[in-house]
Amino acid sequence: MPRTRMALIVATPLALALTACGGGTPDSAEPAAPATADALDDASADELYEQAQEEGSVVVYSFTSRIAEVETAFEAAYPGVDLIGNDISATEQIARIKAEAQAGTPGADVAYLSDAPVVLTELVEAGLLHGYVPPRLDDTVPDRYREPLLAQRLSTKVLMYNEDAHPDGPPVGNLWELTQPEWTGRVVMVDPAVRGDYLDLATELTLRSDDMAAAYQELTGTELELDDGVPDAGSQWLKDLYENDVVLVDDTDNVNAAVGQIGQDAPPVGFTSYSDRRDNADEGWALQVATDVAPANGIAFPALLGIVDGAEHPAAARLLIDFLMGDDTETGGAGFEPFYVAGDYPVRTDVVPPADAVALDDLGAWIIDPAAVAERRAEVADFLLTLG
Amino acid sequence: MLLGAVTALVLAVLVVAPLAGLVATTLRPDGLTAWGDVVASPLSRNLFYEPLTNSLVIGFATAAGSMLLGGGLAWLVVMTDVRFKKTIGLLAAIPFALPSFALALAWETVFRNDRIGGRVGLLHGMGLDIPDWLAWGALPISATLIAHYYSLTFVLVAAALAGVKGDLLEAGEVAGASRARVAVSIALPVVMPALVSSALLAFAEGVSNFASPALLGLPVRYQTLSTRLYGSISTGQVERGYVLSLLLIAVAAIVLFLSTRLVGGRRSYATITGKGGRRRTLELGRYRPAATGVALTAVALTTVLPAAVLLLSSFARRTNSFTDGFTLHFWTGASDPAFAQGQRGVLRNPQVIEAAATTVLLGLAVAAAATVLGLAVGYVVTRLRGAPLVTQALTLLSFLPFLIPGIALGAAFIAQFGRPIGPLPALYGTFAILVIAGAAYTLPFAAQSGRTSVGQISGELEESAVMAGAGMTRRLGRIVVPLAARGLLAGGVLVFVKMVRDLSLVVLLVTPATPLLSVVTYRYASEGFAQFANAITVIIAAISVGATVLARRLQGAAQPWVER
Repeated sequence: MPRTRMALIVATPLALALTACGGGTPDSAEPAAPATADALDDASADELYEQAQEEGSVVVYSFTSRIAEVETAFEAAYPGVDLIGNDISATEQIARIKAEAQAGTPGADVAYLSDAPVVLTELVEAGLLHGYVPPRLDDTVPDRYREPLLAQRLSTKVLMYNEDAHPDGPPVGNLWELTQPEWTGRVVMVDPAVRGDYLDLATELTLRSDDMAAAYQELTGTELELDDGVPDAGSQWLKDLYENDVVLVDDTDNVNAAVGQIGQDAPPVGFTSYSDRRDNADEGWALQVATDVAPANGIAFPALLGIVDGAEHPAAARLLIDFLMGDDTETGGAGFEPFYVAGDYPVRTDVVPPADAVALDDLGAWIIDPAAVAERRAEVADFLLTLG
Repeated sequence: MLLGAVTALVLAVLVVAPLAGLVATTLRPDGLTAWGDVVASPLSRNLFYEPLTNSLVIGFATAAGSMLLGGGLAWLVVMTDVRFKKTIGLLAAIPFALPSFALALAWETVFRNDRIGGRVGLLHGMGLDIPDWLAWGALPISATLIAHYYSLTFVLVAAALAGVKGDLLEAGEVAGASRARVAVSIALPVVMPALVSSALLAFAEGVSNFASPALLGLPVRYQTLSTRLYGSISTGQVERGYVLSLLLIAVAAIVLFLSTRLVGGRRSYATITGKGGRRRTLELGRYRPAATGVALTAVALTTVLPAAVLLLSSFARRTNSFTDGFTLHFWTGASDPAFAQGQRGVLRNPQVIEAAATTVLLGLAVAAAATVLGLAVGYVVTRLRGAPLVTQALTLLSFLPFLIPGIALGAAFIAQFGRPIGPLPALYGTFAILVIAGAAYTLPFAAQSGRTSVGQISGELEESAVMAGAGMTRRLGRIVVPLAARGLLAGGVLVFVKMVRDLSLVVLLVTPATPLLSVVTYRYASEGFAQFANAITVIIAAISVGATVLARRLQGAAQPWVER
C-alpha cells in the first residue's frame, strides 16, 4: 500500500513541527507583575476588600484540605468575594505553577504550601511566586518569617515516643543514643529520599554539625571521629543511624502507628509530626514528644503563603493572605482557626499558642532556615543515597 | 490512507510531544548533570542500578505470574468444562478494579512481622516467626502485583480465546494430537499476541507501580525505580526523576522490542475467518474437580480477601486495625467534634456525590476516546505490514504513555493546551483536557487490545467487502468493529478502571469545577483521615467493579455467537 506510506511520510514532519511548539519546560518566567502591585502591598484590608469585590473571586492552591473551612469563614467575612480552593500537594503545586507559567495562564492567585526549600529555589527565585506581608503585621511577625515568603505557621518533624510504654518520660535524652545497640532496628522514620520534609530534617542535622559533635562528646565523653567520606557530624549521625538499621517507611501515618500503638513491649521511637498527637484517642496511640533531647529533637518548618506571578485577582489574593494570618484576637479568629492546632505553632508573636502542647521555646526543635536548607539539601540527599 | 496519517498525528500530539518535553528538560544543564548522577557517579548504584535490578525482577515476575495465572484461568474458563465458569470468570476480572494498596494491605494483614513496630499480622500474632523475606521486599511486592494485574491478562486473553473456533482445535484432534498438545500447540500460539500484550502491560504496570514497593519494600530498604523516581520528584530533584523515567521507558522499549521478536516469527494470527464453526469445550475429566478448586481458590484469594480488607478498613474505628471495633461513622456519621476532628461521613458530603458523577463521566469519555484511538492504532498496525518501521513506531508510542510519570504528563498538557492553538481555544481548566490527557495516559490498554483484536480478524473478510465495493468507513463499521468488539470492550473497561482511580495525572489538571473521586481521596489522606479515604476508595472500587461486570455482560451481548 504505497499510498499509505506516502501519507505517513508527509504526516510525520508535520507532527514533529507541531510538537516543537508544545514540548519543553519553562526556563524562566517573565517578571510581569501588574503596575498596581506595589500600591496594593501597602493597602489596608478595607481598601483591598473594596477592590476584591470588583475582582469577584480568589483562587488558592492549598496543600491542606482545611482550606474548605477557610472558604466558609472567608466568604462570611467578605461577602462578594468567592474563594475557590484547590487541594494540591506541594510537589504538584510546584509542577503546576511552573507549567501554567509556561503556558501563560496562571491558574491560581495564592499558593499555600510547605516544602519551603524547593519553593524558594523553584518558584520564588524564578519569579513565579511573590511574597506579600500585610502591613498590619509589621510588628508581630518576626523578620525570619517574612522573607522571602510569609510563613503562616510552623509544623514539626520531631522525635516522638510511646507514653504508654515509657510513663516516666522520654526514653531518649541524646540523639546519639539512637545510633547505639539499644535502638538497633527500633527507630522509625519516613525515607528522606521519598519525602521532602524528612530530607529537610536530615539537612538541618548536618547544618547543626557543631551541636551534633558537642552532643556526641556529652554522651560518650570522647570526641567524635568522622569516617572516611563523611563530611560532618550531622552526616556521621545519619550514617550511624542507617547502620543501626533505622526502619524507613513511606508515610508519616505509618511512623505514628508503629511508635504510638498502645500495648507494645518495646515500641520504637520515631520522627513524626507533633500535631499528630491529637489523633491519640481516635487511633489508640500513646504518642508523646521527646523533649530535652540533646542537641535537639527535630525541626520546625514553615507553611508558606505566596502570590502567584500574574495573579488575576491581586487584591483578593492579598485579602486572603491577610485573612489566613488571623485577626486581632489572641487565637487568630476565624481565618486562623482551622490551623490553631496543638503541636503547630503560629508565627505571630501576639497569637497565643494553643494549649495542650509544649511551647515552641520548650519544645527544643531547630527552626529551619529554608534558604540555608535549600543550599545544602541536594548534597545531603546524595549523601543519603550512598548509605543505601 | 488517511487513517494512518491521522493516527500518527494524534499520537504525535498525545505522546511524542510530552515525551519530547521530558527529553528536552533533561538536556538542559541541570538535566545533563542529572544524567551523569544517575548513570555514572558514585550514586548510580543506589540511585539507578540496584533499583533497576529490583524493578526488572518485579516487572518480570509480575509479567510471568500474570501470564501463568491469568492465561491459565482464561484457558480454563473459555476452553474447558471447568465448573463455576461464570463465577470464576467474573471474579478473575475484578482484582484490577481494586486499588493495589488494598492487596498490599491484605498481605500485611496476614504476613506483617515486627520489623516496623505497631500492629503485626495474623500469623505473627499467632506466635509464628515470619522472616523479613516473607513480610517485606521482592516476594510480597511481586505476589501482590501479580494478584492485582493477572486480571489484565485474564480479560485480554479470554477475549482472544473466545475468537478461537472449534475447527482449529478439531483439526488438531483429527490429526491425532492429545488434548494437552492441542492446548499447547494450537490454542497457545493463536492467543500468543494477547498473552504477550497483556504480559507487557503487566510488566509496565509492575515497574511503574509505587504503592506496593513503597509499603512493602521501604522497610527493608528495597528500592525500585518507581520509588526512586517518585522520591526524586518529590524532593525537588525533578531532572533526576525525569532521567529515571526516560531510562525506564528505554528499558520498556527494549522489552517490547524483544517481545515482538518473540511473536514476530508468525506473520498472521487471524483466527476469525469467513468460515463458520462452533467453539468446542475441552473435557477435563478426572482433573475437573482439582482444576475447579485451584481456580476458585486463586480468584477468591485475590478478589474476596483484598475486597474484604478494603471494605473493613473503611469501617475500622482505628486506621487499618481489624481488632479495635468498627463504626459506620466514616460513611454516614454526622459531624461529631469528639471524633475524627469533626469530619462527617463521606455519604453526607455533597461533594462526594458530585465527584462520583464527574468521575464516571470522565471514565466513560476517556474509555470511548482511547478505544477509538486504540482501534485506529490496532487497525493501522495490523493492516500496514508493508511499512514495518511505521508500525513499530506506532506500537512503541502507544505502549509508553503510562511509563511517563503522571505529573510530567500533566505538566506537558498544561503547557501544550494552556494557550489557544490556532483557532482552538485554550483547553486548560476544561473537562476536555482531562479527556485528552486521560486518553493519552491510558492508550497502552486501548492500543494493545485494539491490536490483538483486530489482528485476529482475517484480511479475507475485508477483501471480500472491498470486492463488493465497500469503503473504509463501511468496512470498519460493519466488519472490523463488530468482530473486534469483544476485545475492544475488554480494553475499554481497563481504560475506564485505570482512569477512575488515577490521581497523579488528574491532580494537575482538575479544577474545582471538575471534582473527581481520586482527588477527594487525596484530600482525606493528606489530612491523615485514612478511613474516609478508604471509604472513597471503596466507592471507586465499586464503580470499577460495576463497570467490569457490565462490560462482561455487554461482551456477551455484542457477540452472542461466541457464547454457547
